Amino acid sequence: MSIPTAKLKKPTLKVTPSSRAMNISTSGILRLNRSATYARSINASVSRKSFCLAADSKILEKSSVQTPKHTIQVLDENGKDVTPRPVYQPDPAAVQSKHSKIFASDTSGGTMSDFYSTTYQTTTNASFAGAFTRSLFGSGSVSIGSQSIMESMSEEIEDPSSKRDNSISLSDVQVKREEVKELIQEEMLDDMVDLYLVESDTLCLLDMPAISVSVDSMEAESVKERNSRYTELCKNRTGNDKYMGRSMQTFNGASKTKEVQSEAITMADAATIANNWDMYDSFCSAGQGEVDLSTDTDKASIAEMIHQNHGPTRTMERTMSVISSSTIVSSSSSRMEMEPFVVPSESKPDPELILQSEEFQQHLFVMERIILENIYQPKLAAYRQLPTLEDPDSMPKAVPMVVSRREESSLDEEGPPTPALERLWSFSCELTTGRNVSSMAWNKRNPDLLAVGYGQFAFKDQKPGLVCCWSLKNPSWPERIFTCQSGVTALDFSASSASMLAVGMHDGTIATYNVQSREKTPVIDSSDCVHKHTSPVWQVRWINHERALSGEDKGEALISVSADGRISKWFLRKGLDCIDLMKLKRTRNDRFKRQVGEKERKSEALISRQAPGLCFDFHPTDSNIYLAGTEEGHIHKCSCSYNEQFLETYQAHKGPLYRITWSPFCSDVFLSCSSDWTIQLWRQDLFTPVLGFMSTQRAVYDVMWSPKWATVFGAVNEGRMEIWDLGASILDPTIVNPASPGVKLTSLLFATETDCVLVGDSDGQVSVYQLKNFTAGEGTQVGTLEDIIGSTLASQL
Amino acid sequence: QAEVEETLKRIQTHKGVIGTIVVNAEGIPIRTTLDNSTTVQYAGLLHQLTMKARSTVRDIDPQNDLTFLRIRSKKHEIMVAPDKEYMLIVIQNPSE
Repeated sequence: MSIPTAKLKKPTLKVTPSSRAMNISTSGILRLNRSATYARSINASVSRKSFCLAADSKILEKSSVQTPKHTIQVLDENGKDVTPRPVYQPDPAAVQSKHSKIFASDTSGGTMSDFYSTTYQTTTNASFAGAFTRSLFGSGSVSIGSQSIMESMSEEIEDPSSKRDNSISLSDVQVKREEVKELIQEEMLDDMVDLYLVESDTLCLLDMPAISVSVDSMEAESVKERNSRYTELCKNRTGNDKYMGRSMQTFNGASKTKEVQSEAITMADAATIANNWDMYDSFCSAGQGEVDLSTDTDKASIAEMIHQNHGPTRTMERTMSVISSSTIVSSSSSRMEMEPFVVPSESKPDPELILQSEEFQQHLFVMERIILENIYQPKLAAYRQLPTLEDPDSMPKAVPMVVSRREESSLDEEGPPTPALERLWSFSCELTTGRNVSSMAWNKRNPDLLAVGYGQFAFKDQKPGLVCCWSLKNPSWPERIFTCQSGVTALDFSASSASMLAVGMHDGTIATYNVQSREKTPVIDSSDCVHKHTSPVWQVRWINHERALSGEDKGEALISVSADGRISKWFLRKGLDCIDLMKLKRTRNDRFKRQVGEKERKSEALISRQAPGLCFDFHPTDSNIYLAGTEEGHIHKCSCSYNEQFLETYQAHKGPLYRITWSPFCSDVFLSCSSDWTIQLWRQDLFTPVLGFMSTQRAVYDVMWSPKWATVFGAVNEGRMEIWDLGASILDPTIVNPASPGVKLTSLLFATETDCVLVGDSDGQVSVYQLKNFTAGEGTQVGTLEDIIGSTLASQL
Repeated sequence: QAEVEETLKRIQTHKGVIGTIVVNAEGIPIRTTLDNSTTVQYAGLLHQLTMKARSTVRDIDPQNDLTFLRIRSKKHEIMVAPDKEYMLIVIQNPSE
């Protein structure tokens, strides 16, 4: 295609200061050229077209892109060629040559147009890429040197000159023509290089012509004229056919509603209360976890626990609450035990297992006691001498107040209230009904624990014996039940090891039980012993020997007396074994005073030479001396040092002695009771009793000094229970309590710390009575007793 | 064991005892001498009260713990022995 640029070889332009016209003309030319320059191949013949726009005129070009360079020659008024020399004159031969050549003043730039076209191409490309696309050009090698392109083409308006040196390498130029690199030679380095900095053309990016014109300017006149013409036109517009008003309506786009619905967002409230114990538990469990397990297992277990939704461990729940917000579940299961990071099992405990568990039994135990406490509270309080709490909700007794006042006044008239017994309760249950209470003993360490032995006295109707340990807190069921093969006849608790209970039985066996354990079998049994008793053991006692006896160890020893006439001391040496402290020999029951050590010489036919021993009692202070009572009615004073002879013999009773007790206050005085209906009070040095008491014609089974009052003792015979107060009367008992009909009272026991008496009967009941209104002072008791004795003796003389 | 059964029976026969209830941790009765609705009611209500009581005790001193709870009312007394796996409840009218 022909290149119309050929025509533009040397267009002569008259450059005027007002270059507007020129602009227009130039643009016209530009337009032509535009089409041409898009062509790829530019005729090289259009070489040496150097042009440039008037640099010194303010030419605002329409767009830098569309500003081709034409070979314009500018002539001034004189016709001088003042064509600005081009900034860049590429020399195809020496494209790579020195910078100086570029700016050489010779306008013999060879293929300028080519160059321009290529650069223009690149510019176009660049411009399409972006206005400020220096970088693109910069990517190429700088081998071309610091050639500067026609900066006016791609340069920004503002910096025409400064960036000359930073040439934009024309990588594309290399596409077009081959460049011959001229080797930089030595001599070239020393040449002087001239650099010229020339202002480039101004690029116009935006042209906003002003809408206001200064009054002084040249155009003012024309502008004014035009304005006035316009105003007139506006006036004439209305009614003028030339002008019509017209309205248009815009279409409104049809609106469309669209709805979207999302799933309801479920919300759940989670709340937790950090309690004091909550934090404490977490702290404790966390501390335990660190100590016990490694951190790996910690994390693993925590992760596991998060996924557990129901776990029995408090720890787990607390970590859940720590890690994730826990709900009320955590607070409800807060009563879990502390199990450090044990992965809990999901299985619920079997209901049966619950019932068998230890804690359940313990709880049952406690619950029962509490229930009984509710029932027995007034009685127990009376026992313990506490003020009884009156139930505020119980129905008031239907006794009018007037009558009670009268009663009280009548009582006052009588004088001081009489001592009486009040029955509090009785220890009994269905196990014990029908059995005969044979012996009772308090535990030495726990005064609330009572051991009761059940066994028949008589030889006939023997049945297996029973030992029950009762607690004061549960009068309806014993704490321990031990069944023995034969009737129990004697009991005693040990003082040194308070849980040892010695039991003597009707067949002569002696057994010791440990009441702490739940075992039903005795700890040790004497049935294998060679020297065991062959007859019923009527009394056992734990005696504490202070002084060691001839090589034997100090401590507590078990002493027993049995109907085979032996008093034996039991000890543990490869099993239970005994040695005889004394053999009770028969002594003739005659009136003569007996000398110490006199033996029997009569050749009466006797069934046995032994006298059955029924009771004994060690001296309260001197544990070497003891008294033994026999079936004959003799009381022998013996010593542990002599096992052949008695020290003394007291004879007064005509029947078997059932009980001998030293007085706990007066060390010389002792009491004895027997089946000859009498109770005798003895003094150690007198061979006849000081006082004798007889109230009924019944055998007295048991007698006991009161631990609180020196002049008081209690006795129980078949039909009734009596409390004697020697300070009040030596002839009659102070308090008499008859037994229920058909029931025989068999044993008596004073409570050590309170004013209560326990009475056992043949029906298996142990009744607890409280002594009321018993005003026997303590201080002068001993003196009183001795006075009584003294006065009695004096009166006898 | 038979001992447990015996003890439970004995408790029930004590003077004034109206009912005995043993429930597990979820409130399901294991042993009861009352009717089912009453049992469930007692178990549910007392469970909450026990929780609150335990929380109170432990708030004051975290090393402490609740062992027994007794509620005395006008008509009778409710005694609760709580545990982590079960709850033992006895209702007694002591002034009978």
